[in-house]
Order: sequence, then C-alpha cells, then structure tokens
Amino acid sequence: MRNTWLIIKREYLSRVTKSSFIIMSLLGPIIMAGVGIVSVYLSIEETENQRILVIDENYPLFNTIESSDLIEYDVKPITFDDALKSFESSDYTALLHIDKNYYKVHSGALYFKKQPSFRIQRKIERTIQLRGEEFKLSEFNISETDYRRIKEPFEMQAFQYDSATNTSEEADMLPAVVGIVFSILIYMFIFMYSVQVMRGVIEEKTNRIVEVLISTVKPFHLMLGKILGIAAVGFTQFFIWITLSFTLLGVGQYIMLSKYDSGQIIENATMTNQVQKDIQGELADKTANYSSEDNIIASIGKVNFPLMIGLFLFYFFGGYLLYSAMMAAVGSAVDNDTDTQQFILPITFPLIIGYIASFILFSNPNSPIGFWLSMIPFTSPIVMLVRVPFNNVEVWELVLSMSILVVSFLGMVWLSAKIYRTGILMYGKKPTIREMIRWIKY
Amino acid sequence: MNESPIEDIISVEGVSKSFGSFKALENITLKIPKGKIFGLLGPNGAGKTTLIRILTGITGPDKGSVMIGGNERKIGQIGYLPEERGLYRKMKVWDQALYLTQLKGLSETEAIANLKPWFERMDMVSWRKKPVESLSKGMQQRLQFVITVASNPEILILDEPFSGFDPINAEQLKQEILRLKSEGTTIALSTHNMSSVEELCSHVCLINKGEIILNDSLESIKSSFSKSIFEVSFIGSQVAFANSIGFQFEIVDMKEENGKTKALIKSHGKVDPNDLLSALIRNLTVKSFSEVLPSMNDIFIDLVNGEKEKVTA
Repeated sequence: MRNTWLIIKREYLSRVTKSSFIIMSLLGPIIMAGVGIVSVYLSIEETENQRILVIDENYPLFNTIESSDLIEYDVKPITFDDALKSFESSDYTALLHIDKNYYKVHSGALYFKKQPSFRIQRKIERTIQLRGEEFKLSEFNISETDYRRIKEPFEMQAFQYDSATNTSEEADMLPAVVGIVFSILIYMFIFMYSVQVMRGVIEEKTNRIVEVLISTVKPFHLMLGKILGIAAVGFTQFFIWITLSFTLLGVGQYIMLSKYDSGQIIENATMTNQVQKDIQGELADKTANYSSEDNIIASIGKVNFPLMIGLFLFYFFGGYLLYSAMMAAVGSAVDNDTDTQQFILPITFPLIIGYIASFILFSNPNSPIGFWLSMIPFTSPIVMLVRVPFNNVEVWELVLSMSILVVSFLGMVWLSAKIYRTGILMYGKKPTIREMIRWIKY
Repeated sequence: MNESPIEDIISVEGVSKSFGSFKALENITLKIPKGKIFGLLGPNGAGKTTLIRILTGITGPDKGSVMIGGNERKIGQIGYLPEERGLYRKMKVWDQALYLTQLKGLSETEAIANLKPWFERMDMVSWRKKPVESLSKGMQQRLQFVITVASNPEILILDEPFSGFDPINAEQLKQEILRLKSEGTTIALSTHNMSSVEELCSHVCLINKGEIILNDSLESIKSSFSKSIFEVSFIGSQVAFANSIGFQFEIVDMKEENGKTKALIKSHGKVDPNDLLSALIRNLTVKSFSEVLPSMNDIFIDLVNGEKEKVTA
C-alpha cells in the first residue's frame, strides 16, 4: 500500500510538473474560450455592405427588390453573359442570377468576389423567396393577409411528463448539449490518459528500470500505482480546464458587454436565430431556440451540474480504469511504440463506436441501441452521459450500468495484471494475442 | 570443510523453471553462506539470470522453494543490481535515488541519511540536480550501484557488477563490495570476470544448461582441481634436484636467476607434498615451495568444455 502510494506520487508529480502538461492545461481553456469569444466578435463585426447585381431572366419580374441596410439590390436588364464580363471590374460585391425557369425550379445562383457570410446568403435567399411569393399571390388573386393566415406555422413545445408528480417539464436541448460535451470530454480523456499509461509502461520496460522496481514492489502494485497516478493527472487537468474555462468565459462576457451594449448582441443573436430558423433541420432549429440570452441562462440553469459532473467523474474514472488496464497489458507486451498499433486498434474500437453512437443518440435519445451501449462497459462511459440529460434514464439503469462498469474494471485490472507480470520481463519478440492470453494462466 | 559452522542465509531447494518447452533451471539446490561473497558463474544462457530473478522474487519457480534466513522470502528484502541497468532518464539524480530507496521501505529521512554518505564517498554530490540522461554510462552505473546498496539490505545480488566500468571505477567498486562484506552484508554476484571472482568470492557455484556443475568454497574447488603442480625455488645443483624428485615427477620448467633456481614440476599421480619436501631438503636448500593451483579461468573453461564433450560423445 505504502509503495503504491509512493508510485502514485511519482507518476503524478513527474507529469504535472512537465511543461507540456502546464501548457496543455492553460492552452486548452484559452483556445476554447477564444473560439467562443472570436465567433461572437465576428458576428458583431460583420458589417460589410453588399451591393448585388441581379440578372433576372424573367425581367421585369424582379425589377423591384427592396434593399435593406446591409444589402443593396440592383436589377439590370442585361444578359447574364454581359453581366459576368463586366462583373469583375464593377463595384458590385456579388452577382445574382435568377433562372429562366423560375416558375418551375425556383432557383438561382450567386457569384461573388469575396464570399459573403452564410447569414447574408440566407438573407438574400429569403428576400427573393418573399418577393416571388408576392408575384404568385397577385397572380392567383390571393390577398397577402389570407396567405399569411394560411401559412401560419404550427409551433410545438415538448414536455417531459412525470406521472408521479403529475408535472410536466419542458424538454430542453441545451442540457443535452452539455451532455454531449461531457461525453466528448470523457472520450478524449480516456483516450489521452490510457495511452499515457501504455507509454509509461513501455518507458519503464525499455529503460529496464522495471526489473529494479519489481524486485522491490509487486507488479500489481506497480501497475496500479501508475494507473492511479495518471488518473490523478487527468482529474487535475479536468479541474483546471473547468475552472479556467468558466473564468475566461466570465471575463469574455464582461468585456463584450462593456464594449457593445447588450441590445446589439441580442439583436445580432436574434437575427442569427431568425436566419437559422429558415434552415431546415431539427438540430439547428432546436438549438436556435436558445440563442437568445435569456433562454440560454434559463436552460443552463436547468442542467443538473452536480449530477453531470458527478457522473462525469465516475464514468471517466471507471472507463479510464478499464481502458488503461488493457493499455498497460499492451504496453507490457511490446518493446516499443510502433509495435502497439495492432493492439490499440481493437482496444479503442468500442471507444470509437461509443463516440459515434453518442451523436446518433443526441438526435434520437430513445433508440434501443442506446440502452445496450450504456450498459456495455466499453461504451457506457461515453453513451450514458448523452442519455442522462434527456431524463429518460431510470435510476435502476444508472445503477446497473455503474455496477457493470465497476465489476468489469476490477476484472480487467486483474486480468491485465497477469499479462503485465509476464510481459514486462519479455524482451525481443512481439507476442501474438494468443500468447498474451496464455500468460494469464502462468 | 570449514571448522566453524557457517549460517546459510539463502537456501534454495530443488528449484526448477521452464519457459514453454525450454528448461531454464533443473532441480537447483544451493545454500549461500551469511556474510560471504558468493560467486555465481556460468556461460551465457546457463540460467544465471533466471536463478537470480527467482532469488529476488521477480519470478516464481515452477517447483522448489527459496528461503531467506529460514523464512519465506519477502519482496524488497534483497538489494538487486540487474545486468541490464535502467533508470528513469528524465528524472533528476537525487530524486531518483530518493524515490527508489524509499520504495525499499525506508522513510524519507532515513533514505536521505543513508544516501548522503554514499553520494559523498562516490563523488556524486555535484550531480544531484542533473537529469539521469545527462550522465555518462559509467556515472549511471555508479548511481545505480549506490541506489542498490543505499537501503542497507542484508543481502545484495549483483548481476555483472563490473561491466561498463573502467579499471579505476571497477577497483573502487571492488573496494566498496569488500567494505560491505566486512560490515556483514551477504553478497551474491554473477560475473564473467574470473580474476575478480578469485579476489572477492569465498564460495563459487558454477551452473551450465540450468544445472549446477560445481558448488563449493573457492579453496576446496581449487585444491580438488589441483593438477599436482609444484613450484620450488632452491639453491643447489640442478642434478641433485632431479635426483631428489625421482621418477614420479616431470620437470616442466626450470630456470636459474641470481644464484637461485626456480623449477616447475608436475606429478603423474597423487603425491604427498610433505614427502616431496623432505626429499628435497635432504639435498638442497629450499627457498620456497608451493603448490600451483589452477585459476578459476582454467577451471571454468575445463568444466564448460567438458560438458560440451559429454554432450557430443
């Protein structure tokens, strides 16, 4: 026990004092916060006016397109070829070509010098569509008021009904986004740190220090000390990231709010929102609902952070133990990094399946595969965190999944220790998986 | 053999070990006397490292037992210097020494107290803050030796301790080994350096192909391999000398130097050196008389080659 503790201490201290660890810990949140801040900044700063030359093959159908403060339309009765020739030297920023068969295909093409933002493109599209609708209304003799009444959208809100309390809670997407962020973090952390265990084992083996070590400590204690020491490094990095990210986001928000009045940010956000609503697609639609500031804060409030962080820590630790035990066994069996490839692929395959499944579950949380993947210990650490925020995970499922994980990692640590014990003293040849299984029986 | 009974600190009973179909050790039984230097010899691939790993508890035997001081072996009881030296390359010298000494069960203060004098005696104080990878190979070897002995283990097992050392460092190491022995440490060492075996070891065990072919005190091994060669230096006539030794002896070499004659003679059968000496002093003035014992080097080569012949025959 005392020796395991000494090993944990060495593994931990030798890693957290490395400059690469310090840089990663500081840079991670800075990059994350930076991306967030820069994207908000860019959405505010984008004010470049567009002057668009419109070539309408059905002229004069679109001869009056109302310009907005950002986009100015200029419809000209010239041919597309002529327009294209003079476009380069003109001061137009883009050229919009509306197809001759407008009534059949409803399409056109935009040629630009410098790509206008996605938002601007959607705005142009929408303007032309609205204009087209107007023509058709007069053509079919429908009053615009009637048309708008016909086109009244149906809006649906989703609620989670709880029969026990007879209450309904509005189903939120944002907590699910938090869930998937946590699950991506788990995937990353398990991958990063279990590979470190493998590297550490290979280092000790190729250094030959392992022989000195196991004349003093039991191989099992050595392996356990390494795994736990590196886990502590992972936890440390996680806490640095979380604390720093929140601090930086707070600072960023403060700077943004003092530089621009909040109205502008909200206006920008709602504008984005409006544009995004037009994009078909469930996901964008749902998340867009929360783009306005009040909603974000309300939704973040709904995330059960203590539960999510608790689950994150548990599933990271459990999944990490499971995978790092396997990685330790692999590390013990080979002589150098390059020999590890054939073993790493089958080991990390379930991890990658879990990662992909978590994205599928994000849009379809009730699919039956979700249940099984959140029970299988190799995928449960990643998948469970996506499912929990949808409030459709029963307590027994959670308990069962966690118990399976605990039993599995205990079993895996035990098995790996047996391979490890034999492997660390084997030099020279790369063993096959069959040989490694035989070592278990030694 | 020896008059006072020697306590055996390590006792190996019927130890066998196989790797797959390869028999690395076959029914090894030996005892290592307390407070002595025990030499473990054998050609490459004889099973020395496997035996050492079983002694240190790194691997377990398939059959048989290893007892230390009459008890079950405890892990970490033995200071072990493996043949393939290894340290954490990026770790600082002092941190590494402290860590590995603490792993042997010493508290931090005890470890510091033990390491300090060793660092001073081995001129290592100035390296303390250096990472191991910046040390030369010889320096790393010295550090490794210090780490092995700093926990004051009762038993030391040194696998090829002299490899990688220059003659000066090898001599210093030899002196340190002798000093440790005088302090009561039992030392088992494996080496291919036969002259160091003769200088250091009081007991020798020779293994080949996983079996013990020789195991005794150095003294008795040498006399049992005696080829009845004597060296005599005398004053007097060479003819008188030849007459005195009789037909039983053959003169291998004889030369005169400063009025003294030095002769090397070999007997064809078993002789009593006393009979020879009394025959000589009757006719000559004997200045010195000694039996020439074979070197460990000769014994080693003879035995290992003899084994080979047995196999081919």
